[in-house]
Amino acid sequence: MTTERLTRVFVFLFIVLFFAYLFGPLLIMGVSAFNSSTFPRATPWECFTTEWFVKLGKDERLLEGLWHSIAIGFSVVCVSVPIGMAGAILLTQVNRKIRPVFYTIIISPILVPGVVLGISTLIFWDRLGTMFDASYNSIFYSGTFLTVIGQSTFISAYCMLVFIARLQRFDPALEEAALDLGATNFQTFYKILLPFMMPAVFSAAVLAFLASFENYNTTIFTIVSESTLTTVLASKVRYGIDPSISALAVIIVALTLLGAIVFEVMKRREARVAEARKREGMAPVSRADRASKIADPAHILMALVVIAGVGFVYLLAFFDSAACKTHVLEEKRILQERQVIPETQYQGIFGRGAIEGLEPGAEPAPGGTGEGAPAGEGEPGGYKGIFDPNVLKDQSGTGEEGSEAPQPLPDEEGSNFNKGIFDPNVLKQQSGTGED
Amino acid sequence: MQKFIRKNGIVVSIYLLGACTIWIALMIVLPQVFMLDFSFRFNLPPAKIGGPEDVYTLSNYSHLLFGRANNPESFNWLDTSVFGKTITAAIFVTIFDVVICYPIAFYLAQVAKGGYARFMVLSLIVPFWVNEILRAFAFRIIFSSSGLINTVGMGMGIWDEPFDFIKLDIALYAGLGYAFILLMIFPIYNAVESLDKNQLEAARDLGSPWWRIHWRVVIPFAKPGIASGCTMVFMLSAGALAAPQILGGPSSLWFTQIIYQWFNTGGNWPRGSSYAIVLLVTCTIFVMLMMRLFKVRLGEIAR
Repeated sequence: MTTERLTRVFVFLFIVLFFAYLFGPLLIMGVSAFNSSTFPRATPWECFTTEWFVKLGKDERLLEGLWHSIAIGFSVVCVSVPIGMAGAILLTQVNRKIRPVFYTIIISPILVPGVVLGISTLIFWDRLGTMFDASYNSIFYSGTFLTVIGQSTFISAYCMLVFIARLQRFDPALEEAALDLGATNFQTFYKILLPFMMPAVFSAAVLAFLASFENYNTTIFTIVSESTLTTVLASKVRYGIDPSISALAVIIVALTLLGAIVFEVMKRREARVAEARKREGMAPVSRADRASKIADPAHILMALVVIAGVGFVYLLAFFDSAACKTHVLEEKRILQERQVIPETQYQGIFGRGAIEGLEPGAEPAPGGTGEGAPAGEGEPGGYKGIFDPNVLKDQSGTGEEGSEAPQPLPDEEGSNFNKGIFDPNVLKQQSGTGED
Repeated sequence: MQKFIRKNGIVVSIYLLGACTIWIALMIVLPQVFMLDFSFRFNLPPAKIGGPEDVYTLSNYSHLLFGRANNPESFNWLDTSVFGKTITAAIFVTIFDVVICYPIAFYLAQVAKGGYARFMVLSLIVPFWVNEILRAFAFRIIFSSSGLINTVGMGMGIWDEPFDFIKLDIALYAGLGYAFILLMIFPIYNAVESLDKNQLEAARDLGSPWWRIHWRVVIPFAKPGIASGCTMVFMLSAGALAAPQILGGPSSLWFTQIIYQWFNTGGNWPRGSSYAIVLLVTCTIFVMLMMRLFKVRLGEIAR
């Protein structure tokens, strides 16, 4: 008995750990999106802020990439769904001897690394372009076109797998009946097979769009000089990161959760309708059924989630974190003073030189101790700032716009922070906006 | 052929054959052939392509093994060691994923019931709709020198210096393992789900301990699923580009990154494609090895 209990505890622990691994990173990323620290992190917690979402909305490159991604996604759907369907149908009709070869060829794009697919597409069209002496503005060198083609190569195979699964349940007798009743071949295809495939078309389209939207390995080679959301994101993440990327992740996770809930609700409804039909002997959906659809607790839950989400976002848009930020600055100042006093006695002179070489604001050095050290050296700079009229103007400028204003780049903010922190006027200014 | 057209009618026949021809010829076969051809050529400016200097060469492949012609060392240690490291690390990631995914897949398929199991499946899927770059980014937040683990660890006084997870590639392995969990769980889950519970009970009644039940009953039954999961995870981690770019240390490279460099900053496409061919051949060998080892067919792997 005890061993069984032990196993059960062990299994439970394993599952908890597994899901912690699964959700922990996303959770931490989500938390970091609301932290006012200019470097994305969950600890140390500074202030609750939504400025990163505002910043995200103003990021031109990201938005351009997003539109590109959406356009490419739709094109990929338009290319790969018909191709995938043709592949699946043809697979049921080809000669038994050719079938394994045919299947191996059309399934291979899934097993080939995405990088290789991207490279081969790029080279193929480039060589074709050279052969035809095409200009560099022609389709052979267009990043969007190459990306659509490159992605469709393997996404068509995904779609084909979806169609194969659906086709396995198709009854060929239906087609024969239609033909016997005098339908033409085209009519049989259009009125029998296509409607049967419609649910698969829908799910293949969704799958294709998602796969295209988040593809990176193929896209990075085929996109050439253009950009998609993923390539913009990747270059952002590689060269300096800020929490607006976390903010984007929060939005994506929220949309995903919503999608998952909708999907689950739809699936349940479908199952219930099917059951009801079976009970009533294929009768059409009854009124009672329709009524129950509205009163479904899952629907109510979904509506609540949506309302809560919209309300949350609405509240966020008006949340002002200036007061809290001032408070954090104040705390940092106290912390610095405590650390600085003994230090300045020894290195006051060196400190002035040190600030020149220091890159303020570029990700404060590691951990909690980092908070004090660079700022401590920056202390003389702080006094320097008092006599600089520009600092004041600068500060009041951002102050008037409040926290909704686009955040200055990390470096700028950092230098403001270093220069202005000892300036009492700055504090007044900022607390002023806090009251606004 | 005539039978085919008579069966489908002319319009549908054209659609079926046309779509498949475009797919197979223009998208699958010809690009690979062109890439193979290109990998045997010198890196020439566009004007000289097709000219007298445009001849076949093995120099791109020999560069991977022996480096530049005037290389003081006789062997290209840099590229080959990166290649070796990539393959070993991909195998390591695959094993890691099998170890953590098999129990969960088994639990989902055989132990968990009804709504609870559905909820678990749903919560497995949700993280994988998040962009691959964002997932890597999340790991960077956790593992960077001022990241969560270091802040917490130093805050609690367990270690004083920030621990460099990125340089040691711990972040990279954790991120890669994370990225492909789903591709390991679902094939195993599909395989285990069709296992008859009576077999498990029979084994238990006959006095078999739990580990032997798994070793002798469940794992042999789930072999196609495990093979499929392993293949997918290996291929994807060996061919991963985003995670190594984001989570890799400054001094460590992934083989795909070298390929990317030849195309991007290196500006030597033929060499890049010869490296890509090497990667492709390696992956193909791995797939065939898995098929042989687990005695499964290709159709069962790609599902």
